Amino acid sequence: MTPTLGLIGLPLITSPLVYFAGRVNRRHAAWSRGLALLSLLIAWVFFAQAAQDFSLNGTLETTIGMIVLRIDGISLLLTAVVLTLATVVTIYSARYMAGEMGEEKYYALLIAMSGAMIGLACAADLFNLWVWFELMTIASFLLVAFYCQRRTALEAGVKYLVQSAIGSVLVLLGIALIFAQTGTLRLDELALAGESLALLGAGALFVIGFGVKIALVPLHTWLPDAHTQAPSGISAMLSGVVIETGLIALLRVVGALAGIAESWGVLLLAFGAINMLFGNLMALRQKQVKRLLAFSSLSHVGYMLLGFGIAFYAGEINGAAGGFFHLLTHGLMKGLAFLAAGALLYGLHLAHERHDPLTVGDLAGAARRYPLAALTLSLAVLGLGGLPPLAGFMSKWQIFAAGFQTQDTLVMLLVIFAALNSVLSLAYYAPLVNRMYRDHPSNVVQQGKPIPFSMQVSLIVLAVMVLAIGLLPSLVNWLTEPAGASLMMVLGR
Amino acid sequence: MTETLLLIGILALFGVGLYGMMILHNFIKLVIALQILTKTAVLAFVIAGEMNGQIQLGQSLALTVIVADTMVAVVGLALAVQVRRHFGTLDIRALSTLKR
Amino acid sequence: MAGLLVLLTILAPWGGAASVLLAGDQRHKTQQIAAVLCSVIAAFAALLLLAFTVTTPSVEYAIGGVFGTFTFIPDGLGTFLAAVATTIGSLTVIFSLDYMHGEHQLGRYYALVLLFIGAMCGLVLSGNLLLLFIFWEMTALCSYALISFHNDDPKAVAGGIKALVITQIGGVGLLVGILAAYTQLGTLDINMLIANAGSLPADALTITAFGFLIAAAAKSAQVPFHTWLPGAMEAPTPVSALIHAATMVNAGVYLLARFYPAFAAVPGWTSAVLIVGMISALFGALMALSTHDLKRALAYSTISQLGFMVYAIGAGGIFASQFHLLNHAVFKALLFLGAGAVIHTMGTRDMRRMGGLSRAMPFVRNVFVIGGLALAGVPFFNGFWSKELILEAGLETAVWSFVVMLITAGLTALYTLRMIWLVFFGEAHAAFPAHDAPNFMRIALGMLAIGVLGIWLLAGAFGHLLESTLPYHESVLHVDSTADMISALIAAPATWLTLAVIGVGFALWVLRERLTAFTNSLAPLMRAAAADFGFEWLNRRIVIAAQSAAVNLRKTQTGQLNWNIVGIVTGLVAVLLVLMVGR
Repeated sequence: MTPTLGLIGLPLITSPLVYFAGRVNRRHAAWSRGLALLSLLIAWVFFAQAAQDFSLNGTLETTIGMIVLRIDGISLLLTAVVLTLATVVTIYSARYMAGEMGEEKYYALLIAMSGAMIGLACAADLFNLWVWFELMTIASFLLVAFYCQRRTALEAGVKYLVQSAIGSVLVLLGIALIFAQTGTLRLDELALAGESLALLGAGALFVIGFGVKIALVPLHTWLPDAHTQAPSGISAMLSGVVIETGLIALLRVVGALAGIAESWGVLLLAFGAINMLFGNLMALRQKQVKRLLAFSSLSHVGYMLLGFGIAFYAGEINGAAGGFFHLLTHGLMKGLAFLAAGALLYGLHLAHERHDPLTVGDLAGAARRYPLAALTLSLAVLGLGGLPPLAGFMSKWQIFAAGFQTQDTLVMLLVIFAALNSVLSLAYYAPLVNRMYRDHPSNVVQQGKPIPFSMQVSLIVLAVMVLAIGLLPSLVNWLTEPAGASLMMVLGR
Repeated sequence: MTETLLLIGILALFGVGLYGMMILHNFIKLVIALQILTKTAVLAFVIAGEMNGQIQLGQSLALTVIVADTMVAVVGLALAVQVRRHFGTLDIRALSTLKR
Repeated sequence: MAGLLVLLTILAPWGGAASVLLAGDQRHKTQQIAAVLCSVIAAFAALLLLAFTVTTPSVEYAIGGVFGTFTFIPDGLGTFLAAVATTIGSLTVIFSLDYMHGEHQLGRYYALVLLFIGAMCGLVLSGNLLLLFIFWEMTALCSYALISFHNDDPKAVAGGIKALVITQIGGVGLLVGILAAYTQLGTLDINMLIANAGSLPADALTITAFGFLIAAAAKSAQVPFHTWLPGAMEAPTPVSALIHAATMVNAGVYLLARFYPAFAAVPGWTSAVLIVGMISALFGALMALSTHDLKRALAYSTISQLGFMVYAIGAGGIFASQFHLLNHAVFKALLFLGAGAVIHTMGTRDMRRMGGLSRAMPFVRNVFVIGGLALAGVPFFNGFWSKELILEAGLETAVWSFVVMLITAGLTALYTLRMIWLVFFGEAHAAFPAHDAPNFMRIALGMLAIGVLGIWLLAGAFGHLLESTLPYHESVLHVDSTADMISALIAAPATWLTLAVIGVGFALWVLRERLTAFTNSLAPLMRAAAADFGFEWLNRRIVIAAQSAAVNLRKTQTGQLNWNIVGIVTGLVAVLLVLMVGR
C-alpha cells in the first residue's frame, strides 16, 4: 500500500468502524475514541513515509482506475495541519464530549472529515477535488449541528448548510463550464488551455463557490454562527483547517487557470484587504469569546490571501511560502485559541450542564483558577495578533517581506495596511488577556469546575508548537518551502 | 440550436433557484429552490459531455452530482424536522437569534 | 567568552522568568530569590561584557530564507545599554521585594520584569534587523503586560493597551523601514545596512530612515506619540522606573544613535530628529509644570529629557546623547523609586495632598533631592555634564534651537523645584502614617544616589569604549577624557549662560508669590499643557471613530438567511464585473 492510499483510505475505512464500535455497546464510547486516535496515529506513520518519499523523489503519484492522486508540497503541508489538529482534537474531545448523545458519531465524522481533507489535498483532477470537498462539507454539516437539540446549533447548521450548498453548486457549474470548453478535468492539462470567456466565467464561479467556504467577505455570514455553535473541538477544526482547505482547493483550480487572466492576483489581494479590515472591525466590539475568534479568522484568511495574492500577482515565491506558513501557524494558533476557550467554556459552563456562550466578562480572573488555559489562550491570541516570539509573527513577516520584494507600490501599501491591521487586532486581543489576569474572579469562575488532564495535554502540545515555531521559524521550512515551490510550479513561474 | 436552448434553460433554472433562495422564507421551500439550483449543474454536465463528445463521462459525473446532492438534501430535511420540533415553525426568519 | 556573556545576559533573566513561573505563587521566597539572583547574574554578566566588547558577531545562528542569520554583536553601544538595563533592572527587582510585598500574582510580575530586562538586552545586542524587531516588539509586549499589571483597574488596562497600540504603530514604521532596506540589500545584517546605506536607492533609504524615526519616536515617547507614557503611570512604581530608566524608552534613542551614520545624509532627516526632540523637550517640560500628579510629573520630565537626547542626535552629538541617557537612567530611576517610596507610604500620587514629608522621610528626601538636582542640571551632579554637552552640540548646529532648549533647561529647573517643594516641604495637607523607606528600598535608592554623584567621572572611559568599538560612528564620536571634558565645558560661555537660566528657573519658583501677574498671563499655556496640547483629544477621536465604525459594521451581520444569500449573489456579480473589466 502506498502512503498516499494509506493516508486517505485509512480514515475513510476506520470511520464506519469507529461508529459501529460505539454502537455495539452504548457504554463503550471509549472504543470509538481509542479507534479514532489509533487510526490517526497510524496515519502519522503513513505521513512520515510520504514525507520521506517526497523529499527523495519529489511529487508522488498513485493511480486507481481513472483517478489520479498526487502528493506534492501543498498536499503534504495540508495533511500535516489536518493530522496535527485532528489528533489534538481527538485527545481533547475525550473528556469534552464524554457522555454526549451520539459521541460515536462525533468521532466517526471527525475522522471522515479529516480523510476527506487529505483526499482533497491529493486530488489531481477537478471533479475529484469537488467530490472530496463535498464529502468534507457534508461531514462538517453534521458536526456543526451536532448539538441538534439546541436551537442555536440548529440555526447555525441551517445557515451553514444552505450557504455551503450554494457555493458547492457554483463550483459544479464552473467545472461543467470547463468540461464543456476544454473536454478535460485534469488540473495539469487545464493549464495548457487557451484564453476564453467561458474559462474566465468558470474562474469567477470558483472564486465565489470556494469563497463561501473560505469566508471571503461578503460570503462569510455563516462562519461566525457555525464556529461558535459547533463543539469547541470542531470549532478548532473548522477555523484551523476546514476554511483553509477551501482556500487550497481555490488555489489549485485558479492556479491551473492562471494563464487565463492577469486579474487573479488582484482579486485575491482585494479580497485579502477587505477580509482583514472587516474581520478586525467585526471582532472589535464582540462580547462572546468564540464569536470574536471566529471573526478574527476572517482577517487571518485575509493575510493568507495577501501572501497568495503576491505569489499570483508578482510571481514571488516567498509570498506563496509565506501564505502556506501562515496557513500552518494560523491553524495551530486558532486551534489552540478555540481549544483553550473551549476548555474554559467546559470548566465554567458545560460542566454545570449550562449551555450559555462564553462571554469576555466570564473570563475575568480566570488565570488564578485556570492558569494553564489562561496562559495558552493568551499565547494564542497574542500570537494571532502577531507579537513575537510567537509563530504568527514569523509567518506574517515572511508575507510582508515577499510584499516588499515585489517592489510594487500597490503591494507595499497593502503590506503597510496589513501591518496596521495587526495593530488594530491587538485592540481586541489584548483586553481579553487583561480580563483573564484580573485579581477578582467573576462569579462563574468562582464556581468553575476543574479542567480535565487530557484537555490540558492538548493545550500544552499546541502551545509548545506555537512558541517553538516562533523562536525557530526554520523548524517548518521543510513543509512551507516545498508547498510554495509547488504552487509556483502550477503557476508556471 | 438545441444546445443554445438548453443553455438558456440552465441560466433560467439558475436564476429561478437563486432568486427563490433570496426571497423564500419557508425552509422546505428553500431546500426545493436549492434542488432546482443543483439541477442546473446536473444538466450542465450532461450538456457539456454532449458538446465535447464525452457523453458517458458527462453522464457519470451528473450521476455523482445527484448522489452528493441527495445527501445534502437529506441532511437539510433532517435539519428541517429538528427545526420544526424545536422552533415550532419552518420560517427561517425565526432562525435569526445569532447575529452581530 | 563574549558569546557566553551575551547569552548569559539575555538568558539569565529569561531563565529566571521561567523558574519564577514554574515555582508558582505559593512559594514566595523561592520566587523572590530566583528573581533577584537571575537579575543580578545578568547585571554582572553585562558589566563584565564591557571588558570584552568586539565589533563582530559573537553569537550566530543561521535561520535562512527571509529570516537571515540571527547574530548578537556586543559592541560598545549595545553592551553599555545592556549594562544599564540589567543593573538598573536588578535594582528595581530588589526594590520590588519591599514595594510589591503582599500583592497577588507576584509570579507574573517578576516573570514579566525579568522577561523585559532580557528582551531589552537582546534588542541592544542584536546584530540582525529582524531579531532587533522581534526584541523591539517583545519589549512592547512586556511593557503592556506590566503597565496593566493591576488588571482590575480599568485605567491600568487602558494605559497598557494604549502603550501597546501606540508603540506597535511605531513598530509598523520600523517594520516597513527594515523591509525597505532588506529588499534592497538582500541582507538583514545591521552593520551591512550602516556600511552600505550610501549605495541604497534614495527613496528606499528615505523610507527606512523615517520609518526608524517614527518607531523611535513612538518607543521613546516623543511628540506626537508621547501620549502613552503618562498613561503608563498606572503601572506599579518599580515598573515605571524600569520603563523610564532601564528598558523601553531608551530603545528609541538607541535606535537613532545606532543608525545615525546610515541616515545622517538623508535630506531632512537630521533636522526632523532635531525638531522632534526639541518640541518634545519643550512640551514635556511645560506639561510637567502643569500636573499635580507626582508620577505624571516625572513621566512628563522623561518625555522632556528624552527630547534632549533625541535633539542631541539630531545635532550630531551622539556621545552627548548616550552620556545623557546613562545619567538620565540613573537619576530617573532614583527619582521614580524615591517617588515610589513616598507613594507607598502616602497611598496617593496627588502632590497637593502631600507636603511636609521632609521630617518623616529624611532618607528618601535626601536621595530625591540629589536626583532632582541632577535632573535640573545643577553642577557636579551627573545630569549637569551631559546636558551641557547636548546644549553645546545644539549651539554648533542651530542657534535658534539652542535658544528653545535653553528655555527648556530653565523650565526643567522650575518644575523640579516645584515638585520637590510640594512633596517634601511646604505645609502638610494630610495626616499620614509616614515612615521612612524599608531596607531593600534603601539599598536600591542608596546605590542609585551614589551613581548620580559619581558616574559622570566615567565619561572619558565611556567615550573611549564607544569610540573603539563603533567603526561607523568614528566621525561623530570624539571624546578625550573626563578632565578634558570638564575644562572644555568650564571654558565654554554657553555653560555659564545655561547656569544663569537654571538659576532663573529656580528663582521663578522661589518668587512665585510676587509674580502673580506673570503667572496669570501664562495660565492659557498651562491649561493647554494640562490638556496635553490636544494630542490626547486626537487619540480619543481615533479610538471613538474605530469603535463606532465597528459598531455600525456589526449591523451587516443580520442573521437572516435570505440576506446572507444576497451577500453571496452580490459577491458573484462583483467578481464577474472585476474579471470583465480586468480583461
